[in-house]
Amino acid sequence: MIGKRGKLLILVYIICLAVLFLMCSTDLIIGEPEKEIYQVAVIIEDVGDDNYSNFRKGMDQAAVEFNADVRFITLYDKQDNAQQMELISREQQDGADALIVAPVDEGQVVGALAEKKVSVPVILLDSGLTGEEVAGVVMADYKKMGQKLADEIADREGEGCRVLVLSDGKNKTAASRLFVEGAAGILERLGLPCHMVISGEGQVMKSLLEAFGDTGEGPAVILAESPELLAEAAAALAEGPSFLKQTEGLYGRGNTMQILNYLDRGLITGVCVTDGFSTGYFSVRMAIEAIEGLRGQAPMEMEVYYIEKEDLRDPAYEKILFPIE
Amino acid sequence: MWKRAVICMLLAAFLGGCTKGQKEEQKTEIRMGISLYRGDDTFINNIRSVLETKAKDYEREHGIKVILDIQDAKGSQNTQNNQVERFISLGCDVLCINPVDRMDASVIIDKAMTAGVPVVFFNRQPVEEDMNRWDRLYYIGVDAKETAVLQGQMVVNLYRKEPLAVDLNGDGVVNYVLLEGETSHQDSLIRTEWSIQTLKDGGVPIEKITGGIANWERSQASALMEQWLSEYPDTIELVVSNNDDMALGAIDALEREGIREMNVIGIDGTTPGLEALESGKLLGTVSANKELYASVIVELAASCAMGEVLPKEYPLEDGTYYWAPQEILIHNAE
Repeated sequence: MIGKRGKLLILVYIICLAVLFLMCSTDLIIGEPEKEIYQVAVIIEDVGDDNYSNFRKGMDQAAVEFNADVRFITLYDKQDNAQQMELISREQQDGADALIVAPVDEGQVVGALAEKKVSVPVILLDSGLTGEEVAGVVMADYKKMGQKLADEIADREGEGCRVLVLSDGKNKTAASRLFVEGAAGILERLGLPCHMVISGEGQVMKSLLEAFGDTGEGPAVILAESPELLAEAAAALAEGPSFLKQTEGLYGRGNTMQILNYLDRGLITGVCVTDGFSTGYFSVRMAIEAIEGLRGQAPMEMEVYYIEKEDLRDPAYEKILFPIE
Repeated sequence: MWKRAVICMLLAAFLGGCTKGQKEEQKTEIRMGISLYRGDDTFINNIRSVLETKAKDYEREHGIKVILDIQDAKGSQNTQNNQVERFISLGCDVLCINPVDRMDASVIIDKAMTAGVPVVFFNRQPVEEDMNRWDRLYYIGVDAKETAVLQGQMVVNLYRKEPLAVDLNGDGVVNYVLLEGETSHQDSLIRTEWSIQTLKDGGVPIEKITGGIANWERSQASALMEQWLSEYPDTIELVVSNNDDMALGAIDALEREGIREMNVIGIDGTTPGLEALESGKLLGTVSANKELYASVIVELAASCAMGEVLPKEYPLEDGTYYWAPQEILIHNAE
């Protein structure tokens, strides 16, 4: 028989066990060290990530290194500014510690920051705007890119060549606007005739055929304003061999797989590219630094490279075009 | 008296522990962790792209935010296992996994079961033994035998209609070469077996010249085809490929040699495959309805994540498997 004292001891023992169990289950005793995970949302201006595949690799790499939970968000409709502003607001409400935004309309984004509608740090991608409101900018110098391509066109195609600048006519993004400004400036200085050809999506072949017909001045060089227009122009050349005869060269920017395939097939003469992996990596790093209190960082400018078909297998460019995490 | 007190305290302690975190509010956000066996596989890349669109459609339709964490395992099962661990630590509600090694899905299943996160496998079917381990495991794919039979059938139909369109030199024998996918992939073995069997059963007088494993890859298939063209000049009449990418590799080699008269058939209906079909370089392909395929993945995963009943419009075989419908696509089909 257990005595009264024994019973009391068992009771105390059981109570201790129960308390210990409760404390353990609520992390009071064996609490795991809290590792802060930063929430970062990347909101781009496009509906897909075709132009961001290398960026995403860099972004993922930085996410692991800096213990960040990075969400990559695309729009429902291409270049829809209202939607992008909604997403910025939604992500902020949902607890994002920082935002990385490739603005559809940079003025609107910066306006929202100035009006204090966004209270978390914002890193802008490919934006010409800086200021107190912006926590950081990671960009390629698109003006320099346009200038570089115009110089290459002049060197390769020689004096007197005609240049058709293929544009969607919207000039909404800073990248497109600066790119065309840069190219047009150099072409004008070199005295190369330059015509703007405005084309909607899926209308490139028709627009170019009209342009060739309207000007009636024989072959010309095509310079595409955006990666999408460049790929579409290359597809048009692939489809129409007669069209190919009228084209002395096709130039543009971007390094999607589609563009690189066309470059490899010789349909695109030359492209300007940037290091997407580094852009992704540094933008996340900049976001983390901004969360940790480092504000007013200087804009980070990514190098611009001009490549042709034979550069595709050059190890120096391979690292940029096909990065391995 | 004291016994009652002890029992009550213990019950309270256990109930407190058990109910911790069970009070669930209506979810307004779903997070899906998606791991692809290889991001540079054209078919998988096509599926990934449709998955993103379908997730956005779901978000719009249901007003529930869908976060997709898409990772490329780059052909490494170890990398994929780490990705699964990260998905779970990031609080993913459901995992959508395209396994690197279908024989080695047990590690993923263990991790998911421990965390209580359901898994929707797709494209590469884990072994039945693994799939039977938990009732929250699903598989979405195509029936490999059906794919192969359809691929063979497209040639049988053409041969019956116009024998010389298949037996190009009219000698009564159709000489073919075979491009096979990975040896470890069950689809590769089944596609090879049943495609050729269907040709034989359909009365096409086939004779195999040679064959090789190109691991689903365009460049490897191109190299093999180039070698075969030099070893067996003016002999090959038909290229049977386990997928479109390898078929395109064979077409690349044919283009380099300036050969236009040869029939090439593939499987998958990838975007470049369909372009080749349109231009007549590819005779035909078997395509799964990718829109439906991706829709089922998203709907099923979302239902699992929301704890809802699985959508009735996508009936699951044995409560686990969904087979996406397929169709033959042939050049200049009337």
